[in-house]
Amino acid sequence: MSESASTARALEVGKMRRLQEKTSLRSLLSPLLFMAPAIVLVVVFFFIPVVIVLVISLTDMSTATGFNNWKWVQFDNYSRIATHPNTLPVLRNTLMYVALTLSLFNVGMALVIALLTTHIPRRSGFLFRALWLLPRLTPSVVYIMMWKYVAADAPYGILNQHLLGPLGIPPTNWLPAQPWFFVILTNGFIGASFGMVIFTSAIESIHRDYMVAALVDGCSLWQRIRYVILPLIRWPLLFVTTYQTLSLLTSFEQILLLTEGQFGTEVWSLWAYQRALSNYWGNFQWGFGAALAAVLVLIGVVMALVYMRYFQFNQLVHEPKIEAL
Amino acid sequence: MKVKLENLTKRWGHVYAAHDINLEINDGEFVAFLGPSGCGKTTTLLLIAGIYKPTAGRILFDERVMNQVPPKNRNIGMVFQSYALYPHMTVYENLVFPMKLKRTPPAVMKERARRVAEMLGIGQLLDRRPGQLSGGQQQRVALGRALTKQPDLLLFDEPLSNLDARLRLSMRAEIKRLQMDLGITAIYVTHDQVEAMTMADRVAVMKDGRLQAYCPPDELYDRPRTLFIAGFVGNPPMNFLEVEVVQRDGVYHALRAGFDLPLSAERGKQAAGRGSVILGVRPEDVMIAEEGITGEVYVVEPLGRDDLIDVRIGDVHVHALADPNRRCRVGDRVHLRFNTQKIQLFDPKTEQSLLWT
Amino acid sequence: MEDRLGMGSRWRVAILLLALTILTVPILVGYVWILISTFSQRTYGLIPVDASGQVGGLTLRNWSFLWEDPNIWKVSLNSLILAIGLTIGVVVVSSMAGYALSRIGFPGRRVFLGTTLVLHAFPSVTLLIAIFFVLRWIARIPVLGRELPLIGGFGYNTLGGVILVMLALQLPLGIWLMKGFFDHVSWDIERAALIDGCSRWRTWWQIILPQIRPGIAALAIFSFISGWNEFLIPYTYITDQQQSTIAAYLNKLLSDTAPVNYSQVAAVGLFQLIPVMLFFLFTQEYLLSIFAGGTKGGS
Ligand SMILES: Nc1ncnc2c1ncn2[C@@H]1O[C@H](COP(=O)(O)OP(=O)(O)O)[C@@H](O)[C@H]1O
Ligand SMILES: [Mg+2]
Repeated sequence: MSESASTARALEVGKMRRLQEKTSLRSLLSPLLFMAPAIVLVVVFFFIPVVIVLVISLTDMSTATGFNNWKWVQFDNYSRIATHPNTLPVLRNTLMYVALTLSLFNVGMALVIALLTTHIPRRSGFLFRALWLLPRLTPSVVYIMMWKYVAADAPYGILNQHLLGPLGIPPTNWLPAQPWFFVILTNGFIGASFGMVIFTSAIESIHRDYMVAALVDGCSLWQRIRYVILPLIRWPLLFVTTYQTLSLLTSFEQILLLTEGQFGTEVWSLWAYQRALSNYWGNFQWGFGAALAAVLVLIGVVMALVYMRYFQFNQLVHEPKIEAL
Repeated sequence: MKVKLENLTKRWGHVYAAHDINLEINDGEFVAFLGPSGCGKTTTLLLIAGIYKPTAGRILFDERVMNQVPPKNRNIGMVFQSYALYPHMTVYENLVFPMKLKRTPPAVMKERARRVAEMLGIGQLLDRRPGQLSGGQQQRVALGRALTKQPDLLLFDEPLSNLDARLRLSMRAEIKRLQMDLGITAIYVTHDQVEAMTMADRVAVMKDGRLQAYCPPDELYDRPRTLFIAGFVGNPPMNFLEVEVVQRDGVYHALRAGFDLPLSAERGKQAAGRGSVILGVRPEDVMIAEEGITGEVYVVEPLGRDDLIDVRIGDVHVHALADPNRRCRVGDRVHLRFNTQKIQLFDPKTEQSLLWT
Repeated sequence: MEDRLGMGSRWRVAILLLALTILTVPILVGYVWILISTFSQRTYGLIPVDASGQVGGLTLRNWSFLWEDPNIWKVSLNSLILAIGLTIGVVVVSSMAGYALSRIGFPGRRVFLGTTLVLHAFPSVTLLIAIFFVLRWIARIPVLGRELPLIGGFGYNTLGGVILVMLALQLPLGIWLMKGFFDHVSWDIERAALIDGCSRWRTWWQIILPQIRPGIAALAIFSFISGWNEFLIPYTYITDQQQSTIAAYLNKLLSDTAPVNYSQVAAVGLFQLIPVMLFFLFTQEYLLSIFAGGTKGGS
């Protein structure tokens, strides 16, 4: 073989090696590029904020101090929470709000609607479930406006005009009179759809054989629900309960729109929000608000981590069936 | 283009889908990978295509090591069992898609797509979408898509297994024809031994990720090197009997209860004195005759051209092919003659042939 | 088989239907009222009345805001920009990340997947206070912060900032949904594309994305509606009237005018509701599928 041929060959090999290195570097880059926008957003709007909440909760930052003259106060905000006269009532409100909305609507009503709509002809069932989705899809301001009108004083309010009037109950402005009734109702009608969808698909996936067996055994509808359906959907039931507890604990938009926390309906998350971000007196207490929020953030982080196990994460991760990058 | 696999290994956890595979495919050769489902054929093919990365070993195209080369730079055409046509593209768009990626000039692209479509008889379907085609038509489009880019290597992964029997037969001939005309090196994966035997220049038999044999089809049939190959290749399958070979009066005999078969000297001497060995003989090499080993007809299965007769000899069953005109009936006593030139002998422990290495 | 298993007699179905109807009426009352009220001078309950309290008094006067108040068009445009920007952002970012997580093996994949899942369950509203600070920092970035046309920038008190925040908060749901859709695309098709000469990017864009169009449509509709509806985040981070959205505008109308002229406010409410209702009427199945895929429960 001539010398030039072997040189050419050596060159060729070298070129190939460089080419391979380039492709392997580029191939590592490409999954990273796919992920990059998501990573940036998650870091900027989840990770950094969690740190910020915790850090600011250790300061006295407020409109009074501005962004320059604040100082570290260690755990003062937290001890202030512990001794604050509002703390106990707000805590009680929060527990009541979560417990009642959850049991009556997000789980209770959700289950009732799911059971009812799976025991009537398919198309009607679908229609009713779609209707129950409406509150969630309606702009919250519009939705709350409707409820305000339902509760309004005579002669405008729908409740007074069409239900209580005919029953002879004296009209009043029901929102201040029964604030919790409406807080729970408005949140509940939105919240029920989540459980409804999950329960419905769980009930529909119960194997027909179970139902047939129950029928053959001569179960009544009630017995079938009690002894066949409920035991088989206890997993989704537990899931909805825990998941919705967390959402209810931290949600306040509807209450903000409905009562702004008046009439004794202040809950924890709303308290934090109002202290830090929407204060009537224009005195934003970022440090104190952050401490209030930090409590919820910590609860959220812990419960979210628990979900990881709950979701049976390992079963959800399939190895890709392509290894080329 | 030549293809060479060196110690190619692919492991997932504890499963070896490819285990130390060595083989070489010549330029223009048609090689079939044959093996039961789950033995690692698809995996090996996808390793060659670059979709999977080898755990160990090398893949060479001509002299070039391909391990690090991404699939798109390997210039391969592949036909999948599921066809894998792009559902949102028309047949024409499917055909030209690989060429577009290679920046083929539009005029050339059009001309080539037209020619390939003509060749495969799908010229009138160019505006349809894959969803509107029958299985056979989709198969042709998939074949066309693999061909238009003028690949250096064609890969087929059980391309005919979703077609009905008659279509399979005609497509088989057509694929073989096309490959010969175009002279493109081809690897054809199948679990159907008839396909492998009729189409391939050489057959690579796989089992549990290992290469069992790699040779021309007739050699596979006539000189199986392992018990597995002997049993897997051939239809109806080979008979196996546990026998002992002894030499008596200068003649070798394969013996078991109620069974005494004289063997040719060059075969018999490989097995004599080894104790128990496995004797294999294909049904077409067992004939119903006027005299020979005696047995009783147990089942008769008409196959059309022949009857497959299940004959019981003592406590074993031997299948034989017989002329339907003989009208064998269940319970008849018959005599069997064996074509001793076609007898195979295997070591029961290693499962290797005693005749061929 | 129309008669479903164990449905029993006609009577029982009738009773179940009646029960469902009674439970559902409270939801519907509000919508009925808003429709009637919008075209009436006033309403007593659901009954339209005129100035003297007599039944009647139907009018189109309530819709005069459409031509008398130029602000409505400004805030509607802002809401539209918010909705469209959010939709594009969520679809693009989620489908990119979802693809990588579903289909590419790369170091750290499991960690990313786990993080997505945790964030999906995490109540993001608790971070609003901290995000306020993040937006103020972004606002200091030259040009990007607060000097972009149309969306104002990405900082505090800009439409772009609100889009970015909402995009980030919807991302865990979006990525998880998209990953689920990608999981169901045939591997052979993607292998074929790679062998035919595609890079992973081209495969994603030209081969895989077209296969999951229904999933993209569902996520897009969902994002559009959330953007159009959103009250809390624009209300919290936008003080500038010029950047305000329709939900905040309506809320201001509700709380500023005392006593509230419900019929006029109802008209604005219906105006905001119309696009949502159109989506609802034509795409319930998509929407239900999103909720089945893993909802982020509001309350
Ligand atoms: N992506 C993968 N991940 C893990 N195991 C796999 C994968 N692909 C194939 N296997 C395993 O490797 C073995 C060989 O599979 P395959 O190559 O598909 O066989 P064949 O095509 O011969 O039927 C099987 O046991 C299969 O379960
Ligand atoms: Mg296979």
